[in-house]
Amino acid sequence: MSRLDWFVLGAALLFVVLWGLYKGRGATTGESYIGGGRDHRWWLVGLSIMATQASAITFLSTPGLAYVDGMRFVQFYFGMPLAAVVLSVTLIPLYHRLKVSTAYEILEARFDLKTRLLAAILFLIQRGLAVGLTIFAPALVLSVLLGWSIHANILLVGVLVMLYTVTGGTKAVAWAHSSQMVIIAGGMLLAGVMTAHRLPAHVSFSDALHVAGGLGRLNVIDTHFDVNNRYNLWSGLIGGFFLMLSYFGTDQSQVQRYLAGSDLTQSRLGLLLNAMLKVPMQFLILLLGALVFVFYQFQAPPLFFNPGPVRQVLAGPDAAAYRAVEARFAQARAGQSQQAEAYVTARHGGDAALIAANKQRLQQAQAESETIRREGVALIEKANPGTNPSDVNYIFLAYVLGSLPVGLVGLVIAAVFSGSMSSMSGEISALGATTVVDLWRRLIGGSQGQREVWVGRLATFAWGCFAMAFAEYAARLGSLIEAVNILGSLFYGTILGIFITAFYVKRVQGGTAFYAALVAEVGVLACFKFTQISFLWYNLIGCVAVVGLAWAFSLLRPPAQEAAPGQ
Amino acid sequence: MPVTEPDKEGVPPLLGSWKRIYALVLGELVLCILLFRLFSWAFS
Repeated sequence: MSRLDWFVLGAALLFVVLWGLYKGRGATTGESYIGGGRDHRWWLVGLSIMATQASAITFLSTPGLAYVDGMRFVQFYFGMPLAAVVLSVTLIPLYHRLKVSTAYEILEARFDLKTRLLAAILFLIQRGLAVGLTIFAPALVLSVLLGWSIHANILLVGVLVMLYTVTGGTKAVAWAHSSQMVIIAGGMLLAGVMTAHRLPAHVSFSDALHVAGGLGRLNVIDTHFDVNNRYNLWSGLIGGFFLMLSYFGTDQSQVQRYLAGSDLTQSRLGLLLNAMLKVPMQFLILLLGALVFVFYQFQAPPLFFNPGPVRQVLAGPDAAAYRAVEARFAQARAGQSQQAEAYVTARHGGDAALIAANKQRLQQAQAESETIRREGVALIEKANPGTNPSDVNYIFLAYVLGSLPVGLVGLVIAAVFSGSMSSMSGEISALGATTVVDLWRRLIGGSQGQREVWVGRLATFAWGCFAMAFAEYAARLGSLIEAVNILGSLFYGTILGIFITAFYVKRVQGGTAFYAALVAEVGVLACFKFTQISFLWYNLIGCVAVVGLAWAFSLLRPPAQEAAPGQ
Repeated sequence: MPVTEPDKEGVPPLLGSWKRIYALVLGELVLCILLFRLFSWAFS
């Protein structure tokens, strides 16, 4: 990186931290520390929700996914607007009316303490583990591509985040989120514009889209129903709906963001703003990945974008074989570039038959390159047993470092850091809040004054340290990382099922919901272990299992006499 | 449990009612899906 890149990166990170510290000062009670003063406007709520959800790996892997697999990943977010509307009608008014600080408080009023604690502890487990990965994954990518120490990277992100999150609480997190979203949006937008600009002069934007589309990278909508297919219209609408319903309705890292709204209207509008922006935003990030794919139709890409595993192959007995595959790949890609040029020239000529013939030849060249690439990946897999031979997370940043101009590189890396910091701050803030409200305040008791501010700071600091420690440990997890990545879907369905049972199955009592949730969770874990069902469906399975089991168990007991919250 | 009781905050700051805002959000999703479908078809 150049000096200018370092300056841009340093200035952006310094601004985020100072802005968070400045705006977050003045928390004098536990409620103001955890609730952020409950004076946030809708746009601040919306940006904070968006920044919490958007981790660094989102911005690293999403363009890479489009490069490798096309744009169908956008369907993952189709359930979000549906969930946001349902939550605006149901849960958000309830949370505001009961003036809760965490989502799990209402479960005690409806059921009992142990059900509240079960939901809170499931959240602490899954979110506590996931937050470590949110800083580990980008640190790994940056360390491999830039040669930075992964430990220093984790420490830097962790310390910067804790500076403003621990001192200022929810308000500091929200204001830092707003500045991080500006950096992220600016960095990604400029990267997209520059990528389109860096295509060969005779390749128009329309040509680029036809090249990407012709090679299967613009397959946005897949209407074929298949439960084993991770991203299609139905898994996005149905599985994604339940995932988003649970994430935005019952995950404290999101609930805390919109409960900081000054009233019900601001909370609702903030969530709905996020729902409206998310799908187009993900589409644009994927489109950026598709443009990077087109860029590499005219420039030679490496066989594998992650240099770490490649070094392992080159240090082993298959080095010569890998070099040979690399040479064949380079030759095939040179031919493919010529075919791409011929296709664009034919398009400019307007002869339909010639266009179709050149498009077919380009597709054949792409298939041939892919076959050779798979041979190289097989050698990489052989030299790195037990690891995931995917370079999806490395494609975009490798492109940025090799092809974007000085200054913009620093801005994109600042966006990556901002993504890492924004999700970590939202998550450790929520973990701290749940620890204080659902465990410390409920089980030990105490005032909500200055003392609780310090307990909140201590809890947030402890979760920040845990996140950094787990991030350090994550390097040893190998292929288990993928399991931890889908951890959310292993628990979200069960937690959502508890909430849906609370609202809509009135005859169910506390103990019944608790045991139904335990059995359902075992069922979800069994699905993960023994079936090939795509993880998005776990949300539906867990939710339906809790509601169904709770209802079935309740038939064996007299109907509940207790009142539900809000009545 | 009255989970869908009327919003005590009254009308939202735009479009006049929450139902219209929800229709806007869902309408945008439908529009996005249709445009994406068209986009895939146009360039494939």
